[in-house]
This record gives sequence, C-alpha cells and structure tokens, in this order.
Amino acid sequence: MRADTRRSANLALLKKLALIALLMFGFAWGLIPIYRVICEVTGINQLQRADAVGKAARGAAAAEVLLTFDATVQAGLPWQVRPLTGQLRARPGEFVKVEYEIVNAGAREVVGQAIPRYLPAAAGEYVKKLDCFCFKQQAFAPGERRRFPVVFFVDPALPEAVREITLSYTVFDVPGKGA
Amino acid sequence: MAVVTDTEQGHHARPRGWSRWLAATNHKDIGTLYLWFSFTMFLTGGVMALGIRAELFQPGLQFWQPDLFNQLTTLHGLIMVFGAIMPAFTGMANWLLPLMIGAPDMAFARMNNWSFWLLPPAALLLIVSFAVPGGAASAGWTLYAPLSTQMGMGMDLTIFAIHIMGISSIMGSINIIVTILNLRAPGMTLMKMPMFAWASLITAYLIIAVMPVLAGVVTMVLTDRHFGTHFFNAAGGGDPVLYQHVFWFFGHPEVYIMALPAFGIVSHILPTFARKPLFGYASMVYATSSIALLSFMVWAHHMFTTGMPATAQLFFMYATMLIAVPTGVKVFNWIATLWQGSISFETPMLFAIGFVCLFTVGGLSGVTLSVAAVDIQLQDSYYVVAHFHYVLVAGALFSLFAAVYYWFPKMSGRMYSERLGKLHFWWSLVWFNVTFFPMHFLGLAGMPRRIPDYALQFTSFNEIASVGAFCFGLGQLIFLYNILWSLRRGDPAPAKPWEGADTLEWQLPSPAPYHSFVEAPELEVGENGAIRGMKGGVHH
Ligand SMILES: [Cu+2]
Repeated sequence: MRADTRRSANLALLKKLALIALLMFGFAWGLIPIYRVICEVTGINQLQRADAVGKAARGAAAAEVLLTFDATVQAGLPWQVRPLTGQLRARPGEFVKVEYEIVNAGAREVVGQAIPRYLPAAAGEYVKKLDCFCFKQQAFAPGERRRFPVVFFVDPALPEAVREITLSYTVFDVPGKGA
Repeated sequence: MAVVTDTEQGHHARPRGWSRWLAATNHKDIGTLYLWFSFTMFLTGGVMALGIRAELFQPGLQFWQPDLFNQLTTLHGLIMVFGAIMPAFTGMANWLLPLMIGAPDMAFARMNNWSFWLLPPAALLLIVSFAVPGGAASAGWTLYAPLSTQMGMGMDLTIFAIHIMGISSIMGSINIIVTILNLRAPGMTLMKMPMFAWASLITAYLIIAVMPVLAGVVTMVLTDRHFGTHFFNAAGGGDPVLYQHVFWFFGHPEVYIMALPAFGIVSHILPTFARKPLFGYASMVYATSSIALLSFMVWAHHMFTTGMPATAQLFFMYATMLIAVPTGVKVFNWIATLWQGSISFETPMLFAIGFVCLFTVGGLSGVTLSVAAVDIQLQDSYYVVAHFHYVLVAGALFSLFAAVYYWFPKMSGRMYSERLGKLHFWWSLVWFNVTFFPMHFLGLAGMPRRIPDYALQFTSFNEIASVGAFCFGLGQLIFLYNILWSLRRGDPAPAKPWEGADTLEWQLPSPAPYHSFVEAPELEVGENGAIRGMKGGVHH
C-alpha cells in the first residue's frame, strides 16, 4: 500500500474515533433526561408531585404514628421557616393537615424551593403528600409572610416497626430568580 | 493492514536541544517525555500524600487546617490518576507499540506532540490552584456536587485542567488505536499481537468512550457554577445524586483504564522470566475485552448508600461480582504461566510477581466491597482507601516499575543496576504493605476517609501507616538514582538482555534506533507476539 492510501485510511479511522468521542460527550448530556425519565417511570425520585390516593387511604386501623415536623434553611439565606405544629399523632390512612409559616426577612425579592426529607429515610415512600408548598417554587417580596398547608396521610402499609417519622424541609435559594 | 514502503520520516537529522523535545514527533522522544512527566507528577502527588500522612501521624491538627488537608487529598488523587498513572501508560504505549508491531512510528506524529504538550499546562493549572483565593479544589478527586458547585475558583481551574487532560488522553488514544489497527507489519495479526498491544487497544477504546463523559459532567458543574443551570441543584429541580451517576459512568471504566495496561505489561514479563509462553493467550484477550465491557455496567456500586432501590443494589452487586470472573481467569493464567517454568528473579520479574500477589489482595477487598450490605458499612472508610491503593499502587504503579526495568535496556541501550533494582523492589514491597495494610483495620474499625483528625483509638495504626508512607516515598529515590546513574554508567545492553523475551522489540539493537522499521519487516508470529521469523525491516 502506498503512503497516501495509508494516510487516508488513517484519517478515516481518526474521524470515526473522534466522532465516537463527540457522541460520548453528547451522551453525557443525554444521561440527564434519561435519568429523569427513569425516575419518573419508576417513581424513584418523586419529590415535587402529589401522590395518588388510590385505595390506600382507607383501612385506617394500625397503631398511631408520631409525626415530627421540622425545617431548615440553606446557610446565608434570609428565609425564616417554621412549622406551626411541632408534633402530632396520627393513624395511618388518616388525613393530616399542618401549616408552615415562611417569612422573607431580607430586603430583596427571593425565590425558594423547599425539598422534603424523611427520617427514617425509608419511611419517605409511605408519606403520601396531596398538597405541599414544595411542589413548586415560591416567590416572596421583601418582608412577605405567608402560611402554607401540607396535606398528607401515612400509608397503612407502613411497616409495624416504624412508629415515628420526621418530616423536614430544607429551603433552597433558586439562583438566577428573584432580584 | 498496511505494508509500509515509504520512508517519509527517513533521513533528516535528529534535532538537538530544546526543539528536539518541544517539537518532538518521534514516538520514542514523546514516550520519553510522557514517562518523565508522569514521574514528576508521581513525585508531586507523592509529596502531597506525605503531607496527608504527616497530618494523620497523630490525632488533632498539627500541620494543616482541615481545608488545606482536603485540598491535599483531592489534588493527590487527581494528580496521581490523570498526571501520573494514565500518562505513564500512554508513554509506555508510545515507546513500545511501534516497536512491538513493526510500525515506523505512531500514526499521527504531530497530533502525538500535541497530546503530550497539553499535559504540562494542565498540571500547572492544578498546582497553581493552591495559590488562588479559596485554594485548590477540596471536594475529593470525585468532585461530587453540591460541594463542587460551591467552591472557589480553584474548582474552575481544576475543571479546565480536566478538560485539557481529557482532550490529551483522547488524542493519545486515537493515535494508539489507529497505530494498532492500521500500522501492524505483515504477519502481525490481531490474534497474534502481544498482550500489551491488546491491553493498550482496549484501554484506548475505554478512554474514548468515557473521558468525554467526564468532560461533560464537569462542564455541567461549570455551568451550574456560573451560568445559572440546575443540573445538580436540588432547588432548581436538579439532583446531586445525578452527578454521581454520570461521574461513575466514567469512574468505573477509569479504574480499568488504569488496570488493563498493567495486565498487558505483566503478561509480557511473567512469560519472559518463566521462560514459557503465556498460558491461555486467547482467553487473556477475551478476558480483557469482557472486563472492559462489564466495566460499563457496574457504576452504581459506588453509590450503594444513596438510597437506591434494593433491586438496583442487587443488580449492581451481582454485576460487580461478575467482573471477578474474567479477572480471576487472568490471575489463573499468570499462575499457570509460572507453573513449572524455569524462573529467574530479575527486578522486572519481582515487580510483576509482587503485582500479581498484591493486585489480587486488592481485587479480593474489591469483591468484599461489592457486597451491598458490607459496602454500606464500609462506604467512605479507610477500608476503601486500602482497597484502591492495593490495585493502584501495588497494581498499576508496580507494573509500571516492572515495565521501566524490563524495557530500560531497549530504551537506553544500558543495563540498570540489578542490585539497586532489587533493593527498590523489596523496599517498596515492605513499606507499601506497612502503609496500606493497616488501613484495612482502620476502615473496619470505622475510620472515615478524607478527615484530618480522628478518634484516639485509631492512633497506632495511623502511626504505622505514616511511618510506612515516608519510608515508601524515600525508597522511590532509589529508583530515580538507579535510572539516572544507569543512563550514564550502566553496562551496555545487548539487543536481547532477557533470555526468554521473544517479542519484536527485542529483534532491534539496543538502544532502539531512532527511526525503527522505516520499512516494515515480514513477520512470522506466534501467540502473544512471539517472533518466529523475520525478513527485512530497515532502521536508521
Ligand atoms: Cu467501580
């Protein structure tokens, strides 16, 4: 084989390999929607959507569960977040409504997003939220004070061993929003 | 496959002085540059490791504030992975592949120059980042979000450095693949070519497949940091766990990028000094390929504590255990190669045997960690640190030492000092184990990694590990001295200094001529690149 044929064979392979590298770079970005769809379909990471009630709500019989409510704010933000009810007892299947009060103590408009967290973490899938301020971003004018309901019930399928659940919200600033 | 008949890089004189290196296009010069660069980075990362071990000699804070300590652990990891081990293997591939397969040079000599010269600026970015406000990146070498989306500009410099090193390694890999696929001499068929060529080929494909993914994910971190995106920001609808998924899609194959070339090197050295052909050559090729394929399916074993569903944990656990099968095939083949061989223990052989023993220890602790229930207990503990240092130091690094000693006569035309080489091996072997074996116990007892201070009950094992680390580090100067001394004063090396060596590079005089195989030889080749007959082949 002559030099120029060899050279063009090499260049053709180089182009193919460079294309693979580019495609893999694109693939990394493609993984983001792929993971989102997987989480959606399997319900693995369903934090910001109301749960389906289904038949679960009925059949309230099991022993009461002690529910504790809590909230934290990402460091350095002007939010004040507190639950109006610290603790209550409820039977699985029974609807529970509590309120959170959120204040923007700063002098600028802010947009925040609350993310729920459960303790024990495995109890998360048994807390069925029907309404929550964490379902969407919330905008606050300077000094604004608002109350938000959280409506949920504990799935009666909750394992016998778990009789205490803490529901804690962390409020994050949404960068680029607000003034 | 090409019959090379042209002499395009034939007769011009060898450039001298600075320009020889700066404008280097000769694969041997570039290989030498890679090797010296990676050794420099090895010493740099090693000094950082000693900084870490100095702080951990005693509980409490003696030398560094926690923030600087975290910067040291982060940069130690990044520099060793991207600055030392990966470039060292690329350097070996540059030096050896054309000699092993009968090619005149790498396929794209000028691109080869670029792939090397991108590395020093990237390394400089990493080192300079210690001096910027906020210091170097301190999120650990994995650069997990949301830590990495928050830190100072040291993180930006690190991300740029990763981009540059990524481009460098992708270009290097393209060169390796094209060279192996298109430039083999007649007779050097794929299923006959030496294991190091096979390992380099598969590794290069892995790099092309996953380095862009790393580049992508750190780019997302960059846009999260500066351009208001929310890939990993929970508040904006993103997810920090997503970072881990994408990172480890790169990260696990990366483990094999640092291990497969080592497998290749050892598959040359064991047969040579056992004076027997490699046992199960074809199964070695298939095992290497299946390890590479499986490595794409196990990433989430790094994430057992992120709250995965049990089904996913089981899948990734079994998939991970499955990798032990082809790896076991390799270890079995190596032992079978030694079986009834007439073995002699020159320095390369010592390092190769040390590799097989200690890599297996690291492999077994890896299988232990693959059990999800155990991993949840040991996640982020010193057991993990012990595990990956067994496969990376006693694995990758020992194989590189073995390779340098083994091919030093071919590269330099001189013999290294066997006495110093053996001293270097035994010294490294002992102090390596003194450093890292106690870390298993520390991890099992619950000591977390990446902390500058620890509970008192961990003191004695940490003291042992720190003493071991300083001695190990000191011992590497024996290696440096041996190389520098032997380059000037070593005995002249014959073309084939090892009785049992049979691959193509040993058919060349020592040192290998500057322009070797300018005309390709006609080869008659046995398995693992063993040369049975050779006609032609012109050198300058
Ligand atoms: Cu892994």
